[in-house]
Amino acid sequence: MSRKYRIVLAGNPNCGKTTIFNCLTGARQHVGNYPGVTVESKTGEFMLGEDEIELIDIPGIYSLSSSSPEEGVAFEELTRPGIDLIMNVIDSSIPQRSLYLSTQLAELHIPMLIVFNMSDEAKKKGLKFDIQKLQSYFGCSIVQTVGSRGDGIDKLKNALSESLLHLEDHDVPKLTYGADVDDAIHEIVQWIEPAMTDRVRHIPARFFAIKLLEKDTCVMRLPEFQGLDAIIDAQIAHLYARHAIKAETFMADCRYAMISGACRDAISFTQERRREISDKIDAVVTNQWVGLPLFFVVMYLMFWFTFTCAAPMTDGIDWLFGWIQGLIERFWSPDVQPVLRSLLIDGVIHGVGGVIVFLPNILFLFLAIAFLEDTGYMARAAFVMDGIMRKFDLQGKSFVPLVLGFGCNVPAIMATRSIESERDRRTTILVLPLMSCGARLPIYVLLVPAFFAVKYQAFVMFLIYAIGVAFAMLAARLLKSTLFKGDGEVYLMELPPYRVPTVKSILLHMWDRGVMYLKKAGTIILGVSVLLFIANNFPEKKVFDTDYGAQIMAVAADASMAPSEQASAVKRFENLRRAEAAEYTISGRVGKFLEPAFKPIGFDWRVTTAAIGALAAKEVFVSQLGILYAEGEVAEDAPEDEQESLRLQLRRVYTPLQGFCMMLFCLLSIPCLATLAIIRKELNSWKWMFLEAFGLFALAYVTTLIVYQIGLLLKIGTNLLA
Amino acid sequence: MKAGAADSSTTDSAECTLAELPVGCTATVINVKPSLRGKKKFADVGIVPGVELQMEAHAPFGGLLRIKVMESSLSIHRDDAANIVIRKRELS
Repeated sequence: MSRKYRIVLAGNPNCGKTTIFNCLTGARQHVGNYPGVTVESKTGEFMLGEDEIELIDIPGIYSLSSSSPEEGVAFEELTRPGIDLIMNVIDSSIPQRSLYLSTQLAELHIPMLIVFNMSDEAKKKGLKFDIQKLQSYFGCSIVQTVGSRGDGIDKLKNALSESLLHLEDHDVPKLTYGADVDDAIHEIVQWIEPAMTDRVRHIPARFFAIKLLEKDTCVMRLPEFQGLDAIIDAQIAHLYARHAIKAETFMADCRYAMISGACRDAISFTQERRREISDKIDAVVTNQWVGLPLFFVVMYLMFWFTFTCAAPMTDGIDWLFGWIQGLIERFWSPDVQPVLRSLLIDGVIHGVGGVIVFLPNILFLFLAIAFLEDTGYMARAAFVMDGIMRKFDLQGKSFVPLVLGFGCNVPAIMATRSIESERDRRTTILVLPLMSCGARLPIYVLLVPAFFAVKYQAFVMFLIYAIGVAFAMLAARLLKSTLFKGDGEVYLMELPPYRVPTVKSILLHMWDRGVMYLKKAGTIILGVSVLLFIANNFPEKKVFDTDYGAQIMAVAADASMAPSEQASAVKRFENLRRAEAAEYTISGRVGKFLEPAFKPIGFDWRVTTAAIGALAAKEVFVSQLGILYAEGEVAEDAPEDEQESLRLQLRRVYTPLQGFCMMLFCLLSIPCLATLAIIRKELNSWKWMFLEAFGLFALAYVTTLIVYQIGLLLKIGTNLLA
Repeated sequence: MKAGAADSSTTDSAECTLAELPVGCTATVINVKPSLRGKKKFADVGIVPGVELQMEAHAPFGGLLRIKVMESSLSIHRDDAANIVIRKRELS
């Protein structure tokens, strides 16, 4: 008979819960080698023989209490009724610290299965476990696994089936804390047992008694346990008199003492070779003097990798789109369905294709980020950068989300949940859109080579990113000294040992990101491109102010003009006609209407419409320019290369100063809608979302205005630099 | 809160705070001062009396310390470390 079971995965941060989750469910949730990758509960299903299993992956916790928001979430999830089994994953290379949580989970008296993950590392360290002893100690089965390689997953499934057969008559652990403490717990149990309601009856009174002794805020708040303060305080005072340790940490002491007793019995070290290689690397990487310069080298390499390695592939994709366009032009005569033909060529190929061209850059960027995440360097970077971050009133923990922001702002904003200090978290979220994300990358990759000579390109690119980071830091400082004033919170972050990332994990991450990018290109960007194409072409102008046709005829008939003069005159009239037609369209009207506001920052109506389109997704800026300038392709010297031909046109129309201002504005301005939505969700406030959008727009406008006007005044970048 | 300056409990010569432990040295935790914020958090990751720890590194600009407790590396802030009283182990 098939049944349904609900199983929760619990364990310390970075112990490999999500890896086990992925192994069991076949899901591809993001994993990395630093604490706090999983920030929200994820559910997956799998079949175990006949049975249906619902598996819930929760954020990692060190303790079953409520000293941080994540712990609060995990606490609620684990104390909710309806859990059939807890799968406690531990990093078996650090057994003492990991089993601390196990002792607390065991007290819930919910059937449990302990997974000794990373057992390969434990073995390398020379750790030997007496599994039999440990099993009887915790009253549950223990399975050894290596999640990253998938070792032991079959055994885990077997043990799980076995455990599920004995849900009704499962063992309970034999955990005692010495006579004094057990008496105190027992005393409180006497008092709270009658107060237990149905809501909490699935959890033993003993569990709550211990939490009350610890003065855990979550449990103290429960209505069932009100009015017991005097009794609890008396017990605490009694214990304090005996042991002179404060209530909050008293139980932690007891637990660790108990674990070290158990470890003496059941765990042995055969050799003292602990984390040797990892420590050697860290002697350099987290060195007080070398650490920071090394970090900047790593960042430089990351961007060098993103731009340089992707270039050949970008050219390849560009060639492919050019070829497809050539094919369509050859086989689809301009007389048949001209609007559809133009929509396909100008709207879809120039709009969407112009964005897909940058797929290699995105792939390489995420490959680099995944590498930093999976090796464990991210936690080191946070460590060495903390000092600098504090100068701007942020902290090391804000740092990981900020680096992730270079990839995509949306997951980066979610990653801020690992920051305990609410003020720091809010500040980090609000400044995060200033980190130039991967979607803004195509804008720079298009514009930088268009306006700057090869020798300046790397510098301009670096400058753009640096401006974003600088503004983020200054904004953080400003926010922390005004709106989010106050003392910082406790900083505590674990540095995991370095691990060699599996090729599979990194490639999968890159692949998933690539698919997401293509999906975005195929949905949002395609949709917006089609809309923009329509806005750019309709309504069509039938009657022109000037009869360009007649003038062209007149020029052509004028025998006194040289042929070359004639050609250029004809082209001038054609361009004038095109300009007039363009201004008549929806885009033209909107752009023209807004142009006075954007002219001071160097934008004409075309760039203005591109900037509006970029609200949907930043890449649309590129596709809109692609669509708008696709129609003007009458230049005889237009290169074969699609991107080059667009760059050539841009160079004709705009100055490098304007090009720089476009990038600056795109960098600083309102982030894409997806980012705004996640800001609203994470700050739980519409008000903050609108303030953020308005603030960033004002920042972008004022900064670009100053740069453009000073540039004009001093004549910097008003001509092409050689 | 100024770190560890004025505290009623007297410390003998072998005792000092974690913030003062030089890189590479090992020590045993004696107690945690009541003034430490988030005591429970530190206790949860294993910083309890009797535990041995080692100073692994100091971060640039002096803010963070990196210590090894129970086989794992933790980074904590110097201000908090100043509230953790330790006894330095003699170098052998």
